[in-house]
Formats: sequence, structure tokens, C-alpha cells
Amino acid sequence: MPPGVEESTPRVEVSLVTAHGLAALITLLASLAFGIVAAIELLLPDLFGGVSWLSWGRVRYAHTQGVILGWLGNVFFAFLYHAVPILSGRPVTSAPLGRWLFALWNLAVMVPGWILVLAGISQPLEWAEFPLVIDILAVAGLVLAAIQFVPPFFRRGVESLYVSSWYVIGGLVFTLLAYPMGNFLPEVVPGARGAALSGLWIHDAIGLFVTPLALAIIYYVIPAASGRPIYSHFLSMLGFWLLFFVYPLNGTHHYVFSVIPMEAQISAIAASTILGIDVILVVTNLLLSMRGSGFIPADVGLRFVATGTVFYLLVSIQGAVQAQMAVNQTVHFTDWVVGHSHLAMLGFATFAGAGGLVHMWQRLPGVRFNSRACEWSYWLLVTGVTMMVVDLTVAGLVEAQAWQSGAPWIESVRAARPYWLIRALSAIPIAAGFIALLVGVTTGTRRDVPTDARDVAVDLRGADRLRPRVAPATVEPA
Amino acid sequence: MSIGAGRALRMAYIVAGVGGIGFFLMSVVLLGYWPGRVLEEQTRRMSPTMPLGLSVSEQRGREVYAREGCAYCHTQQIRYLDADIARFGAPTLAWETQFDYPHLWGTRRIGPDLSRASGTRTADWHYLHLYSPRTLVPDSVMPAYRSLFDGMPERPRQEARDLVAYLETLGRARELAGPEGEAHAREGCNCPDDHMAHMAFSVTPVNGSPTRPRAEGNYPMLPAAADPQRGKELFAANCATCHGSSGRGDGPAASALVPRPANLAEHRYSFDRLSDVLWNGSVGTSMSAWRDHTVTDLSAMAAAVQSLSMVEPVEAPSEAILALGGRVYQANCIQCHGTNGDGRGTAVAELTVRPTDFRRQQASLAASIRAIREGMNGTRMAPWTDRLNADEILAVAHYVRSLYPDASTRAGQP
Repeated sequence: MPPGVEESTPRVEVSLVTAHGLAALITLLASLAFGIVAAIELLLPDLFGGVSWLSWGRVRYAHTQGVILGWLGNVFFAFLYHAVPILSGRPVTSAPLGRWLFALWNLAVMVPGWILVLAGISQPLEWAEFPLVIDILAVAGLVLAAIQFVPPFFRRGVESLYVSSWYVIGGLVFTLLAYPMGNFLPEVVPGARGAALSGLWIHDAIGLFVTPLALAIIYYVIPAASGRPIYSHFLSMLGFWLLFFVYPLNGTHHYVFSVIPMEAQISAIAASTILGIDVILVVTNLLLSMRGSGFIPADVGLRFVATGTVFYLLVSIQGAVQAQMAVNQTVHFTDWVVGHSHLAMLGFATFAGAGGLVHMWQRLPGVRFNSRACEWSYWLLVTGVTMMVVDLTVAGLVEAQAWQSGAPWIESVRAARPYWLIRALSAIPIAAGFIALLVGVTTGTRRDVPTDARDVAVDLRGADRLRPRVAPATVEPA
Repeated sequence: MSIGAGRALRMAYIVAGVGGIGFFLMSVVLLGYWPGRVLEEQTRRMSPTMPLGLSVSEQRGREVYAREGCAYCHTQQIRYLDADIARFGAPTLAWETQFDYPHLWGTRRIGPDLSRASGTRTADWHYLHLYSPRTLVPDSVMPAYRSLFDGMPERPRQEARDLVAYLETLGRARELAGPEGEAHAREGCNCPDDHMAHMAFSVTPVNGSPTRPRAEGNYPMLPAAADPQRGKELFAANCATCHGSSGRGDGPAASALVPRPANLAEHRYSFDRLSDVLWNGSVGTSMSAWRDHTVTDLSAMAAAVQSLSMVEPVEAPSEAILALGGRVYQANCIQCHGTNGDGRGTAVAELTVRPTDFRRQQASLAASIRAIREGMNGTRMAPWTDRLNADEILAVAHYVRSLYPDASTRAGQP
């Protein structure tokens, strides 16, 4: 154990970090492949000659479930195995439990989920496409995750929780509540009533699962990589509680101008506006915490995270704007929204996840790390995401204009085609970026020094401290 | 930090934890449970007493629709927006969705909304469209669902039949409820007489789809076309898949459709007839309406159709032949085609496909004889060879052709 690190710094389950990290990248590449197939099928619908398991609807189901559960789920778990012991000062609950969780999540949820969806056994609910039997296993996985990662915080003195810890606890607990609501209830609550619940889940999936865990990574990596504490613990906690208050109230904004009571729609639009303002607060705090790291930080993990933060700001302001009725009536149902969700999942969450992955890989003993490949990955992904989101945003406006004009429906399809081509081409830098990321964590020099707790030395803790303070001297491993 | 402060923070932690879960529960109550109660109450008060649910086949079809991700391109939710209503019809009411387990509202429209798909297309059209979408709609990006068929669109498997049966249920309950149902819903709604109520209940017909054929309907008399090139392009893009590029009714889609698409080359159509069929479509056939096109474009299409006619003038038949034809016509044809040949005989109400109006369209002599000898597949027009001899068939063919006004009197002709 390096000097300067507390005696109590617990063991990090390195094998579980690497297992989830690699599973994350493999499921990411599979999800990417589904996305590319769907993007190409919009241009060449007869490419696969009507083979049912490759038809657009089914690969679309597989794409989103793969991204949220496979890639983000695994990368979050990898991060938690790395960070929870450091944040809480305690080991995770149980290593054997971790092996069960890994097997359950990947071999009982992801693989069979994909097979069933492609075989035509699924449910037609957004961000909930895996069939009910898989949902039960996924909930079991979330329960195991909560057992694995939450108790260490309880066993430690809770008064000194860092904001990342709050996001981890909040994300895991709330997802456990929200997932069954979105996946089970619409099957028994019909029509418009079920849609109201689905709307909530669509936003809870991003707001109560993806965002908290992605923010946990961002809040963790910034001080750990830069060696400086977060700008304001007070602002980070204020942001945390505001997010958890307003995020769940956003969902109905997916069904504006529907038959769902107008009061509910307007409440959700108001909550979306407050959320946008809150995210400005959160991101301001994060950006201020990165002062001195440069506009494009030299540390590639921090660079991913910094860009993810900027994407988070953009996507949240965009979300607040497009929830407004005047905007929503035009852009809803168009590719604008598809661009928005890619800015959230591929921009914000994926950059946070990739940043976390790169950050911990640099610090894991016994793994290979290729910094050059990770830098390539960063630039390719920035290019791809920007290309795709800008393209889809314009496509949405073009489609909306075609619809408003009253022209025959097919005109909007014809008008979208060039934009769909650019979107499909954006898959080239994105795919190259993800492959580079995989190369980055599987090639290069192998780290031999067991330095699992190196970044503990950076002051991450101290939620009780309500003002910024200078970090104690960073202690390098011996 | 003192122990007291630590304890207080621990308390705060518990309060915050409980409060946090409270936030989630609050969201579910405010935006899930409470709207659900309102919608349930609306459904109870506004629904017809015994709304038609889904049959077993229709329910199976719904499962096919769900598993193929149809809802990810086709929404089933017409919003309270003029643009939505103009294109698809009355906005979706809560009671219409009461059998949707789970809902299929969707959040992206790549294809059109399907909330009111019922009665818009024929089963033939759906089968061909599912089997090979681009055979009908060249620029469609819909996947081809080959696995629902035994190798050809005319051989749908049970799943395809179920799916098409399901599509026919979309919007059905509200149309069946009729004006009484609308009045009942409006009363039950107990909603303020505001803009939204106006949108919800004052849209007639409930299904406003501009592609839906209608048996009777006013139509604008198309102006004379100014742009023959535009007409040819529109015909190639919209009509040729069924009617063929030269209008012979031999497009790639033709063989799967019953009745077959009209052979435009062996007919002459008045501009009035073309205005009617382009605006209203042809009920009972796969000819949809084209009301989503501008009148200018429709008149260009009509002119393009007229220009495809290859009907040659024939030697005028003798008075005796016309007289014989008239007698045969009066004895056999008037129940459907009407005493004066306008296609409005007394039996028309019983027929799915409108009988030909001989005053607005004229088939070539050969086509007329063929129709009488062989009948028209997919319509009630039977073969007449067992009832009429060759002379009578020839005579009645001449007679019905003579009902078409002389070319010089036809409207819209240059």
C-alpha cells in the first residue's frame, strides 16, 4: 500500500473492474452494430432481404437496450468497483456476489435479452424493450447491485459522504424503484394511463439511472485527475437534491398535446425548465472545478469527462427548450429528438463512462493501457457525435417543415434521406472511436504496480465541508 | 466536528433518504397515478357503453405489431394540433385506448400515424405493402416483412392476416360510435367549451386521412393542367407502381391487387371522373385518395392519365345494333349501372365497388367486350357469356360506349 493512503483504504476488486470494463466495451460495440444496421436500413431498406431478426424494429430495440443496460450498465458497475471502496473507505459487500452480478447482468440479461428481442419476444415500450422475463432478471441484477455498492456507504460515517457517493446511492436506489414502474406497469395499465407511466420511465431511465451514475463519475474523475477538490461542495449537493427533485417530474413532456391532463403536461414542462436551470448550476460548478486543467485537458480521462460535462449542459438546455409547447409542437416526433437522445446517451453519458473507464484503467494494476489510442478515441468520438447530432437536429427541422406544409407524407421521408446518409456516415468516426477505446484498454504497456488506491490521496471526501479548499498534497505512490 | 453535529447529520441523512424516495413517489403520484385516475374517469364517462374490443386474431396481430417495433416509426397518438388533425383526423381520446395493453403511442414518426388506419387501405394493399413496401411506395423505407408470408404477397400466413386485421381496428371503435358516440363523449367529458374541446369533438369525419377513399364526397373540379412534364413525373412517382409506367394496369404491384388496377391506356376518362377518383379514391379497391396533393398537382396527374389513353375511334355502330344494345342493357345492367349509365343503379348500396359510370369513362371496344365476357375479378361484375350471345355482347358493348359524351364536349380537354 502506498504511503499516505489511509490504513483503512480497502481492497479494490480489480478483476471485477476489468471484467465489467471489457463487457461494457463489447456490449457497446454490439449496440453500435445494431445502431449502424438500423441507420443503413433507412437508406437501403431491402439490404437484408426481409430477414426478420435483422429488421429495423428489432435491431432498434436491441440498440437502445444494449446502450443503456449493456454499455452504460457495465461501465457504471466497473466504475463502482473502482470508486466505491475509495469513496466509502470500505470494500464492496462481496466479491462472490460480484461474480454473480457480472454473470447475471451479462449472461442472463444482455445475451438472452438480445436473442429474445431479435427473435421477436419483446415489449414495445421505449427503454424497456427486453421482455418481462428479462426484466425480472434485470431487477434482480439491480437488487444485487444495490446490495453490493450501497452498504459500504452506510457502514462508513455517513456525515462525510462526497457528492459522488450521494449520486451512487441515489442512482441505484431510484433505479430500483423506477425500473419496475416503467417495465411492468404499462403491461397492466392500458392506453393513455399506461403511456403516462411510460413517459415517466423514459425520463427516469436517463434521469435516475444514467445521469446520477454519469455525474458520479464526472464528480469523481475531476478532482482525482486534476488533483484539486471540487469547486463547491455546497453547490454540488444543492445540484444533487434539485436533480432528484425535478428529474422524476419531467416524464410527461414526452406526451405534450396528448390527452394526458394538461395540468400534468404543464407541470412536466415547468419541471423541465427548472431542470435546465439546475443543470446550468451543476455544470458551472463542474467547469469551475476544472479551472487550470486547460480548455482541452491533457489527461485523456479528464478530457473525456470535461467534454461529457459540456455535452450535459448542451443536452439539458436543449431538453428544457424542446419541452416548451411552442418548440415541442414542431420538433416532436422528428429526428430532432433522436439527435437529442444521442447527445444525451452518446455525448454526455458515453463520454462520462469512457472518461471513467480511461481514468480507472490508468490506475489499475496489471492492465494494459494505450494512451495514444484513447486520445484517438476521444477525437474520433467528438467528431462523430457532433456530426450526428447536428445532422439529426437539422433533419428534424426539415421533417417538421415538410409535415407543417401539408405535403404528402412521403415528401418528409424523401427530404430526410440526405440527412440519414450523413447520420449513417457519422457511424464511421463513432465506430472507429469505440474500437480505438477498446484498443486503448487492451494494448500498450502493462501496469505492474498495485496502485489501486492511488487517487484516494486526492481529497474526494468531505461533504461536510461547504466551501472549496485546497487539496492536501497529492501523494504519489512509492 | 462535534458528536452532536455528527448525529444531526446522520438524522439529516435519514430524512434526506426518506425525502428522496418521497420525491420519486411524488412524481409517480402526480404524473402517473393522478393523471391515470383522471383518464380512467374520462374513459368511464365518455366511452360507448359496450365498445368493441379486439378479437383473438386482432389481438394476435397487435402482438406482431408490437414485436416488430411498428410503433417506433408509426405513432398511435393524434395530438391536439391542427397539423396532426388535418393529416390524420380527430385527436386520440382516452377511451379509445382502453384496450391497449400496453400502449403503442410511440415517440417518432418516420411513417404516418396509424391511430385511424382503419378503412384507409384494402387488405390486398396491406399484404403487398407488408411483403414488399417499395413495390407500392417507391420511396418508402419500411422493412419488408417477408417472414409473414409464404413466398408471395398473395399467400399471407396467419400472422400477416392477424396483423392486417389489427390494423383495421385502429380507430374503429370511435367510428362505430358515430355521431351519437361523439355527442355522448362530449357530454361525458364535461370539459369547458374551449379550443381543445372543439378540436376533440368537432372534427368530421373522425378519420380525416387525406388518403382514405370515400364513397361519396365533394371534390374540386380540377383546373386544366398547365405542366405536362410535372404530370408525367407525378404519375411516375405515385401511380406507376400499380397502373404501370405506360398506364396499362401492369405495374409491379398490379398482380397482387384485386380488383386489378385500371388499365388507363384502354380507357378514356372525363376530367370530372379523374377529379372525383383522385380526390375521393375508389372505395373497395386499392385506389387510395390523393387529397394530400395540391389541386395543381392533381390536375397535372389527371392530364397525364388522359394522355395515356390509346383508345382508337371505331366505326360508328348501326342504329339497329345500338337499339339491341339498349334493350339488353335495360334488361340486365340497370340494377347496378343505372338506367342512364351513371353507375347509380338501385343495387349500388349493396356493392363494395362502385359500378362503372359510362357517362364519365369509356373503355375501348375490346375492353368493353372483355369485361362483359369475363367479368371483373374483385367486383360484382360477372361474366355474361351464359346469358348473352356474342351479338348481344357486342351490341351492349357498343351501347355503353355510346353513353360517353363526344370528345368535343368533355370538360378539361384542350
